[in-house]
Amino acid sequence: MMNTRSMRKYLAVGAAAAVTLGALSGCTPGGDDDGKTTITWWHNGTGEPLLGFWEDVAAEFEADHPDVDVVVQAYQNEELQRTLIPNQLRTGAGLDLFQQWGAGELAAQVEAGYVMDISDQVSSEVDALGGVVAPWQVDGKTYGLPFNFGIEGFWYNKDLFAQAGITETPTTLDELNDAVQSLKEADITPIAVGAGDKWPAAHYWYNFALKSCSPEVLQEAQVSYDFSDPCFVDAGDLLEEFIASEPFQEGFLATSAQQGAGSSAGMLATGNAAMELMGHWNPGQMGGILQEETGSAEATPPEFLGWFNFPAIDGAQGDPTAALGGGDGFSCSAWAPPECVELMQYISSVDVQTRFGELGAGVPVTPGSEAGIADPNLQQVLEGLQSSSYVQLWLDTAYGPTVGGAMNDGIVALFGGQGSSKDIVEAMKNAAATL
Amino acid sequence: MVDTLVKAGPAVSAGPALARRRPRDARGALLIWAFAGPALLVYAGFVLLPVVLAAVYSFFNWNGLSELDRFIGFDNYVRAITDPVFQNAIVHNLAIVALSLLVQGPLAILLALLLNRPLRGRTLIRTLIFVPYVLSEVVAGLSFKLLLPPDGPVDSLLTALGWAGDKPNWLADPDFAFWTLFVVLTWKYLGFAIILMLAGLQGVPEELGEAAAIDGASWWQIQRHITLPLLGPTIRIWAFLSVIGSLQLFDMVRILTNGGPVNATATMATYMVDYGNGRGQVGYGSAVAVILFVISLVIALLYQRFVLRRDLAGAITRGT
Amino acid sequence: MTTHAPLAGRRKVDAGLPFVYLVALVIVGVTIAPVVYVVIGGFRTTGQINADPGGWPDPWVLDKYAGVFSNPNFWTQFLNSSIVALLTTAGVVLLGVMAAFVIARYSFRGRNVLFSLFTAGLLFPLTVAVLPLFTMLRGLGLLGSLAAVIIPQIAFALPTTIIILVPFLRAIPAELEDAAMIDGTNRFGFFWRVLLPLSWPGLITVGVLAFVASWNAYLLPLLLLGNPATATLPVGVQYFSTAYSQDTAGVLAFTSVAMIPALLFFTLAQRRIVGGLSGAVKG
Repeated sequence: MMNTRSMRKYLAVGAAAAVTLGALSGCTPGGDDDGKTTITWWHNGTGEPLLGFWEDVAAEFEADHPDVDVVVQAYQNEELQRTLIPNQLRTGAGLDLFQQWGAGELAAQVEAGYVMDISDQVSSEVDALGGVVAPWQVDGKTYGLPFNFGIEGFWYNKDLFAQAGITETPTTLDELNDAVQSLKEADITPIAVGAGDKWPAAHYWYNFALKSCSPEVLQEAQVSYDFSDPCFVDAGDLLEEFIASEPFQEGFLATSAQQGAGSSAGMLATGNAAMELMGHWNPGQMGGILQEETGSAEATPPEFLGWFNFPAIDGAQGDPTAALGGGDGFSCSAWAPPECVELMQYISSVDVQTRFGELGAGVPVTPGSEAGIADPNLQQVLEGLQSSSYVQLWLDTAYGPTVGGAMNDGIVALFGGQGSSKDIVEAMKNAAATL
Repeated sequence: MVDTLVKAGPAVSAGPALARRRPRDARGALLIWAFAGPALLVYAGFVLLPVVLAAVYSFFNWNGLSELDRFIGFDNYVRAITDPVFQNAIVHNLAIVALSLLVQGPLAILLALLLNRPLRGRTLIRTLIFVPYVLSEVVAGLSFKLLLPPDGPVDSLLTALGWAGDKPNWLADPDFAFWTLFVVLTWKYLGFAIILMLAGLQGVPEELGEAAAIDGASWWQIQRHITLPLLGPTIRIWAFLSVIGSLQLFDMVRILTNGGPVNATATMATYMVDYGNGRGQVGYGSAVAVILFVISLVIALLYQRFVLRRDLAGAITRGT
Repeated sequence: MTTHAPLAGRRKVDAGLPFVYLVALVIVGVTIAPVVYVVIGGFRTTGQINADPGGWPDPWVLDKYAGVFSNPNFWTQFLNSSIVALLTTAGVVLLGVMAAFVIARYSFRGRNVLFSLFTAGLLFPLTVAVLPLFTMLRGLGLLGSLAAVIIPQIAFALPTTIIILVPFLRAIPAELEDAAMIDGTNRFGFFWRVLLPLSWPGLITVGVLAFVASWNAYLLPLLLLGNPATATLPVGVQYFSTAYSQDTAGVLAFTSVAMIPALLFFTLAQRRIVGGLSGAVKG
């Protein structure tokens, strides 16, 4: 009879559903498998050469540790930092080795209990690395190791500069403004900025703040969230003036920093803009974009690329030799297997770091690996780093996501012609009050 | 049946042909609740409870992890209501509600009226029109994100059609981004509206229009006085769904513009996820969510009172 | 006098029929063009697209689509989307029809409250519940598993389902129930043997709606499943598009493959979907 058959069918479906549901609730990604330890590793190197490089590192580690399986995955930078890592950490599973930018962000994660304290295991590495490890430490304990650190500056197209008749790289803000003028007269987009991702625009304010505020004020602000010094408002005023001179590309409010040829990095790489204020990972980014554009796996950062430090500002109170910088590192989650720390140490080893330097994708930090740096621009960055009196970490990383997010929003509003320099500081104070 | 569907309010009307059974014994009552129980449990646990919890969290300064111990009363609400970004987000939602009703509605009705006749390939047309609705907002959003960049396919097409100069940056220009969003939303949901209207038109007897035509009524008069009123219940259902959907808009915005540029396309939902999940401010995000709910509730209640009342009052009661 | 006077509008239409076809063509064209573009775009390389955004593939390149089908993440996401959608649909239909059955046909204390409770659910945006759900599910240890998405989806789909099913179920004549009682079956038997088969069209409608909604869901899987390698397809597509943003052609290919299941399903079920909606509307 049809109804009995359908009834049996319903029951069967229902039973199957119940069983599947039950099985699925126990099912979580990652974890151990036939006695092998799995390490889930997330980083932001979605393009070459980093993508292949980390895969090689993972494979080498696996070869040395036959009972370990390394699952390495690259994700887009902003999504990784803002969504993927925080969400995954909150679930308490499924992520072992992850990219770590340090300072305030790290402090927030440590407070939530997400990060493994590795002070004991990596004491020798910490000694070797020296001061550069500081952003990856909280309250004297080490929670991660950097693999990349550098300072920010203007990456520029030497050919386009020559075309506009600019003979020397700007060393002061006035000279920079002149250069912008010359480029506009030569019908060249002076500066590309990826304001769509917010932080590239914010870095302008950070640099102005760096040059306007004394190192003591900056260090104090990082600890106590005290933004009462008027220098923070001065920074906004300087920025407003700079924006008013219209040095940026059209549609900068929606341009991304690194995604494709239309990004600010892409524009510089393809010769569509003359300058970009960006960190030391930029050549690597540009190489990856060019590879995809041309389809050639051999495409490298462009020949015309040059670098100069963010110009000094006459009459400003900040230390003219101070630099804004930051880096990347890795951390292990609190629930990661001990092999995670070994992987981190391997990444930090002189051998791997030297090869990292050879890639031209960043500036390695382990002493002895500088020999690998082949890119003359990166060598310049390294010199700039070594000769700066004080390196301030990216402000949004330094202040953590709550204050940093509010700060970036305020700065981008300024770029969009809304809000004022005072509003930025107000927003930062209000955000800090909620902590 | 239409009226029953539309009267999605507190009273469950009596179906005329069915006398309802009162379970005469305890076992009957048990059976009733055995049937309704599972649905009620799941619903209460995973819809009602979270909503209540959201209300609770909204009074705390909480990051979702630490103890729930920083009670701050209505501070989160004050902060949200005084934040110009959130105010703009509300405006964006309400604007989309209004635009959908004023633009998509009449357009759908008009097109349905035009298409409501024997056409060759009618089924094919209806199927194809419905396709955007079936796609996820993510896929739709991504497709348009790939179509709209400067000098991309859309711009190339516009150039080919004769627009030679610089075109605005559809997604990047704060002045245009919102309108671009609305156009994409229309693309996605107009087909659904047309199909719904077409279905409603099936219930409009041709004879009425014919009789009116004999009496000398023009096409427009026929539509206005006969077709549209009979289409009323359908229009009201569609409008309700459209309003609720517009208020909850998230996926499309997140993919297409992520609320940008400079918050030009932020909606209440993207704002909530941004703060509540993105920045770990669960208490604040919950307050925003509750505000969203209250706004939806008020609009729905007003809708029920002023719009659906007419269906309840003197409408034609169709049999089941 | 003609006995069959044509509609004034119809007379106009006969003259304007080509106009109507034109309108229909334009509508269909605008509707389908983006979809077609995305699908065709997957057959090009990024270089081709940058050189000529609106052009035709030249030559036709299969690598991008091959890349999608050989991407293990894609299959995992596809499988996850399928499991989630099927189980959500099964759960929604089953629980929904059971609840709608008693609401529609029996009078009992609390029935109005129950129905109002469910209809009020239409007003609860998923967004309101998402943050507390996250905390709840983490406490239950379900976060990261597919159940974390399935159960809330069932819960949120219940209001629409019940609202659509109640009129359907009420329409089944009381006489049938009486006859079944006389034959000796109890209410449960009536439910299984008579009511369910008769309400099949309504069940299909709500089932299809639930399936499509689940397949396309983004917010819930985004926040509750997180890890793109094990998430559902919409989440996976989005992450692919940003991780490989430089590879425009690849993103187009992935996006169009992500469209296929929904389109296929729709083609097979379109009569039901469109018909079901029509039925719900006109009664």
